[in-house]
Amino acid sequence: MRVTSNSFPTALINQLGDLTTRQAKLQNQAATGQRIQLPEDDPKAMRRVLDMQTEARSIDQYQRNIERQQEAATASYTVMKSLKTISDRANEIATLADGLDSPQQLAIYANEVTELIKHGIQLVNTTHRGDYLFGGTRNNTAPFVASYSDDGQVTSVVYAGNDSLPESEIGDNVKSSGHTLGENNSGSGPRGLITDSRSGADLFAHLISLQNHLRAGDTNAVANTDRAALQRDEENLIYHYGLNGATQSRLDVTLSLLKERNFSLSSEVSKEVDADLAQTLVRLNETQNAYQAALQSGGSILGMSLLDYMR
Amino acid sequence: MLGLFGTLNMGSRSLSTQRTGIELAGHNMANANNPAYSRQRVSVETAGAFATTQGIQGTGADVGAIKRIRNELLDDQIAREGSVSGSLLAQQQALKYAQANLGQQIDRLATGAEGSAAANGTGTQHGIAEALADMFNSFQSLSTQPTSEVERKIVLDKGASLANRFNQTDQRLSALRSSLDSNLEVDAKSANTIMSEVARLNDRISTAELLSEGTANDLRDARTAKLEELAALVKFEVSEGDGGAVNISIDGTIMVSGSQTLDQIETYDAGGGQMMLRAKNSTSPLNVMGGSLHGIITARDGEIAELQTDLRALAGLLITEVNAIHANGYGLDGSSGNPFFTGNDASDIQVNRTLVDDPRLLQASGEAGVTGDNSVIVGMAQLQTKQQAGLDGQTFSQRYTQIVASLGESISEVNFQVVDQGVVEKMLKGQRDSISGVSLDEEMTDLIKYQKAFEASARLITTVDEMLDTVVNLIR
Repeated sequence: MRVTSNSFPTALINQLGDLTTRQAKLQNQAATGQRIQLPEDDPKAMRRVLDMQTEARSIDQYQRNIERQQEAATASYTVMKSLKTISDRANEIATLADGLDSPQQLAIYANEVTELIKHGIQLVNTTHRGDYLFGGTRNNTAPFVASYSDDGQVTSVVYAGNDSLPESEIGDNVKSSGHTLGENNSGSGPRGLITDSRSGADLFAHLISLQNHLRAGDTNAVANTDRAALQRDEENLIYHYGLNGATQSRLDVTLSLLKERNFSLSSEVSKEVDADLAQTLVRLNETQNAYQAALQSGGSILGMSLLDYMR
Repeated sequence: MLGLFGTLNMGSRSLSTQRTGIELAGHNMANANNPAYSRQRVSVETAGAFATTQGIQGTGADVGAIKRIRNELLDDQIAREGSVSGSLLAQQQALKYAQANLGQQIDRLATGAEGSAAANGTGTQHGIAEALADMFNSFQSLSTQPTSEVERKIVLDKGASLANRFNQTDQRLSALRSSLDSNLEVDAKSANTIMSEVARLNDRISTAELLSEGTANDLRDARTAKLEELAALVKFEVSEGDGGAVNISIDGTIMVSGSQTLDQIETYDAGGGQMMLRAKNSTSPLNVMGGSLHGIITARDGEIAELQTDLRALAGLLITEVNAIHANGYGLDGSSGNPFFTGNDASDIQVNRTLVDDPRLLQASGEAGVTGDNSVIVGMAQLQTKQQAGLDGQTFSQRYTQIVASLGESISEVNFQVVDQGVVEKMLKGQRDSISGVSLDEEMTDLIKYQKAFEASARLITTVDEMLDTVVNLIR
């Protein structure tokens, strides 16, 4: 093939252009550590990565949801522990009252029970992040409202919440809740902590009954009715202890699985996106060598012509 | 027999012939870096012979013709491939603008707005994908505490951020289509200018070739270069005219005939602000098949229009679906009836201003007065994983990533075609250069060759002169 004066410079310019483009691409890959950045780099991989990143962001949110539920479960557990103390003391008083016939002594116990009820109401009206913990989804008002007699005794406690648990998602279409209902007399759904028709628990009603029987000196009623009723409340509380533990355990396991899934996604994204740094740097080095060789050989050939040998 | 005076005359003609060779070598060397130029060669022919008693005797040499060394087949091929390249390059440029306008890229090193993406190690997405995921996540976050005004504010901010990205992308794509219309007009004007120049060159070539024998090499070179420039803008058909002229027609409409420019390309509004091409005089639409004009129209009405339509449809369905669920909800004050999004598609999607002004009105609850109920906001969050019949069974995110991947495929395909086309063009131009390009080494060699012949011819004249002196001095 005939090589003219412009054939060589044109070819050299093309070769240098190709090598510069390749160097720029490899340098960019080395600097960012990424094989692909834009849709045009690898459209199919881009699609897979975007889908995986969207999933990873959802998983992040599910993790935050779980953390919120764990907060609620922990706060609920703290209340349950205090309620258990109240229940224990009430059972103790009911047992102690069995052998007493002094009205003054019984009145002292009655006053203590009144205080236990007030303390219990205060506990179940606990708020977390501004919302009442035990009111179900009707959580903007205190779920347990007490009525008092003129002499300060608790006459009744009414539940103002509802029997719907505030659930949120911890996975695609998987709902969970760290909350506990204060009352559920519907006979279905999650059990109520204070009042539950299926277990026969009604802690405040039973405490009020104990308070009234103590004040009236009716130790028979205390022994025959209140102690059995309080026992059911105690069992209900223990049931919720267990349920709360199971919920927290489930949330822990789910959180752990989500973290594993995120780690797995990170690896998969890395496989799609990340450049093999060793390979990239070797190729960059090869390209730089080729560029230097092209410049050097081009420079030496371009500088020579027949003119150098003519006088 | 020539005789001494005949020989003297032959020497004089030879001097003139060699001088022409030297002049042409100089012309070639002067144009060595002119890309439109094809090297020229002097054709030296023996001068007329005459009969003698000893046989036919020659009388030296004359310049027969000055020819340009050119392969017309290669020129045609290069012009044809130039049309393909022009179209592909215009498409590549337009689609890359669209890709930039979409603003979708993967960044493994950057942190997201909440640092969450950095924490999970998958990197950030930027663009609408990130905003879409953020909005659904904010719905999820609100579902954990539906009464929180802070969470409500975040939901509305994320919704507004997504709406802004849809708006900006749509505006950018509209602006891109509008600027492609401007490019169409500019390229059409350039094509008209080139066609006028070809007509002028046709005129000059006809005149030059009429007045003298041979071809107007330099003018023909200039015309070939103009035709190649025109091919990069629009594909045309060329035919030989009278007197060395060429005629140009586009999509069957004759634009240039000899020295006359019969018609020109103009842009017109084909309806809905869509600029198309037609012949100025005949007003018939031109269906151009190559060149940048073709590339601009293909990219504008193809992938870019599709991208904008798809994004609008995606945003439109998002508005409908989110609002349909939101409509069943109640705000913290028990109010209902406020849409979450206003607008119809990506061009005008906005978060309802009423909600922005009072986040308490966001209808997250499914029961009036029950503020802790989150059934509506959970339903809105679940849209993220819901397969939509209107999106061929894909979720919103999946549909968006498909749109991105589709654009990426188009650019990737055009990139490959541009590279392939570049190889073809380089090979063809390399072949042409090997035939028509100037070699300085060859020209220097010719220079020496003609210089030596010139010296020899001068020596012949000197010798004949001395012989004439001898003859004149025979008798004293």
